[in-house]
Amino acid sequence: MSDNSGEGKLAVTSSPEGLSAAGDGARKASSPARRAGRTGWGQRLEIALLAGPAMVMFITFVMLPVLLAAYYGFFKWKGFGPPTNFVGLQNYLTIFKDSTFHDALMHNAVIVVLSLLLQGPAAVLLALLLNQKMRGRSVVRVLIFVPYVVSEVIVGTGWSLMLQTNGAINDLLIKAGLPSWTVDWLSDPKIAIWSLMLIITWKYIGFAVILFLAGLQGIPQELFEAAAIDGASYWQTQRRITLPLLGPTIRIWAFLSMIGSLQLFDLVYIIWGQYVAATAGTSTMATYMVVNGRNAANYGFGNAVAVVLFVISLILALTYQRFVLNRDTEGALTEGKK
Amino acid sequence: MNRKKILVATAALSIGALALTACSSGGSSTGDSSSAAAGGNVSMTFWHNSTTGEGKAYWESTVADFEAANPGVKITIQAIQNEDMDGKLQTALNSGDAPDIFMARGGGKLSDVVTAGQAQEVVVDDATKAAVGDAAFSAFTVDGKVYGMPMSILPGGIYYSKDLFAKAGITGTPATIADLEADVQKLKDAGIAPIALGAKDAWPAAHWYYFFALRACSQETLDKATADKKFDDACWTKAGDDLAAFSKTNPFNDGFLTTSAQQGAGSSAGLLANHQAAMELMGAWDPGVIASLTPDTKPLADLGWFPFPAIDGGKGEAGAMMGGLDGFSCSKAAPAECSKFLNFAMQKKYQEGYANAFHTLPASKDAQSVVTEGALVDVLASYNKAPYVSLWLDTLYGQNVGNALNAGVVNLLAGQADSASIVKSVVDAAAKE
Repeated sequence: MSDNSGEGKLAVTSSPEGLSAAGDGARKASSPARRAGRTGWGQRLEIALLAGPAMVMFITFVMLPVLLAAYYGFFKWKGFGPPTNFVGLQNYLTIFKDSTFHDALMHNAVIVVLSLLLQGPAAVLLALLLNQKMRGRSVVRVLIFVPYVVSEVIVGTGWSLMLQTNGAINDLLIKAGLPSWTVDWLSDPKIAIWSLMLIITWKYIGFAVILFLAGLQGIPQELFEAAAIDGASYWQTQRRITLPLLGPTIRIWAFLSMIGSLQLFDLVYIIWGQYVAATAGTSTMATYMVVNGRNAANYGFGNAVAVVLFVISLILALTYQRFVLNRDTEGALTEGKK
Repeated sequence: MNRKKILVATAALSIGALALTACSSGGSSTGDSSSAAAGGNVSMTFWHNSTTGEGKAYWESTVADFEAANPGVKITIQAIQNEDMDGKLQTALNSGDAPDIFMARGGGKLSDVVTAGQAQEVVVDDATKAAVGDAAFSAFTVDGKVYGMPMSILPGGIYYSKDLFAKAGITGTPATIADLEADVQKLKDAGIAPIALGAKDAWPAAHWYYFFALRACSQETLDKATADKKFDDACWTKAGDDLAAFSKTNPFNDGFLTTSAQQGAGSSAGLLANHQAAMELMGAWDPGVIASLTPDTKPLADLGWFPFPAIDGGKGEAGAMMGGLDGFSCSKAAPAECSKFLNFAMQKKYQEGYANAFHTLPASKDAQSVVTEGALVDVLASYNKAPYVSLWLDTLYGQNVGNALNAGVVNLLAGQADSASIVKSVVDAAAKE
């Protein structure tokens, strides 16, 4: 997606027409031939058959559960047998009045904002650094990316062991002669959220860096050469050329990061467990859902929480799409209608 | 020709996808209760929570013996980690794909399962009935019918390291909370973490509240709350106040809020097993858990036990205990061999094996002589004298209220709430039920 939009921008700014014209030409050359040999019905059949399996899977495992969750959310339901105790919107009212849900929502908001503020700039800097020719570049790239590949369960278990009051990090501080620096990393509400942000950043920054590196590859070398000839400094080049052309990639990454932060569950649940997340100030809407839905065997209520989480994510996604991603995806989405 | 092949393949794929989804939603008719009469092959699935060591081996050999004694019966064992059990079981029961034999602890949780028509009555033979006695069966009885077979009785109390007590200059065991607080101070002075607590799992923290409630509330109050779940008696707040006052003395290990209960050397049981902490409030499964976490995975030699201390001004009878039972139930669709297997495992030989493998107390009185570990002998003596034994409150009051109690107690211990908030969180929970 980022490559596409980079190409679009490129055509506007520096017009190396050969590239995009060649692409268009290839497309045009093949499509009339394909269209000529087939009736509309054949084409529709083919679409149905090729897209069919995916659609069946999508409807069964994505759409249906969402609709069922919305349905179950109207019941008080212990999870055994079909739900019978219809209570209308009462579950939703309970959610909106519950102060522990407000806390969880606030923690989600903090995580969304801090993720963008901490990971974004750091990842851009790292990507710029790693985009240069230097010794050991691929080793560093791998090291930064590895945490992203490791399962959240392992990451959570490992960090929680290290951050416990009698864990490796406090032990290290004591051995380094800084015993007054030791703190309760996980259960002190003033510190726990920062511990969580540290782990999230460590885990997910590799993904951002890889995305940005890919985005950087899409910026044509000629622009940098031209800038060099014009006598632009390193920082001028980055600010005027790299960052604007990396924009589409950054905006897509920010989108993924926000959705991921809203749905954060595994790390918190593994490190803080079922109940301590709430007192440590790291609970999220997803952990709230599991604790008050599944663990309390109030499945109707849990489904209502799932719907609230879904709607909040959807609103954020659509708003972002409409106001931020709009310009990047304009070409990609409207091209087919031409 | 080529295209035709592709079309056929695609069609096959989409039909396959349809079949797959049909399977996943239509699996509710598995299980066959008529197989016993037919005399043919019977197969059952069996879920328990001993994923390692002697307990796992015990079930494997017991099942093998049963299969040998009952040709044509095949039992497939699945061991599931304890903390995962509730959720997995609920999902399985609900999807109609329930295990035939599954672990259950009686009380409100089992009652929910029975009310939903997901469990069947267990046919208890006379020998088992006599060996176990009514008290243990009462936890598994719903509307006068027995829905589970108790395997072990698990009364709670405080396990402690005799060596660490001696090191801190403590002689004897505390009889009152004031004594306990004095001992906590002595242990701290000696540089020993007094009490290990796995509050990350919440239920071990909640046990502290339950025991204060057991001492503060009369038996009638506990029973009344089972029915109306109002928790309006003043003793519920008193229990919270007593716990808050006790926790102000900082009796628990550093970082207890993020300490888990039973997993690994850093857990509360692990701290006891490695002499990193002196005490832990737990049920009678604790010696087994501790044994699996000692450096040589042998039972802790200096492990002792004393009952939860008395408090001032409580309405609970002295000597009353709180505890649980580990037992097994048969799901609705299980074959008749399920009851047969449970009675089989209640024979003296297997109950003795159970007590040995799990380092715990067998439900069958015939097998109690096998208990020789010091701490367990003391538990058993107290249990046999107790005027009454209440179920753990989370088991007694069902999952929803239990969950709220757990959360309320964690808030209290984290210093973010007072005793009234425990009662309030129970009332809030009722709104979600």
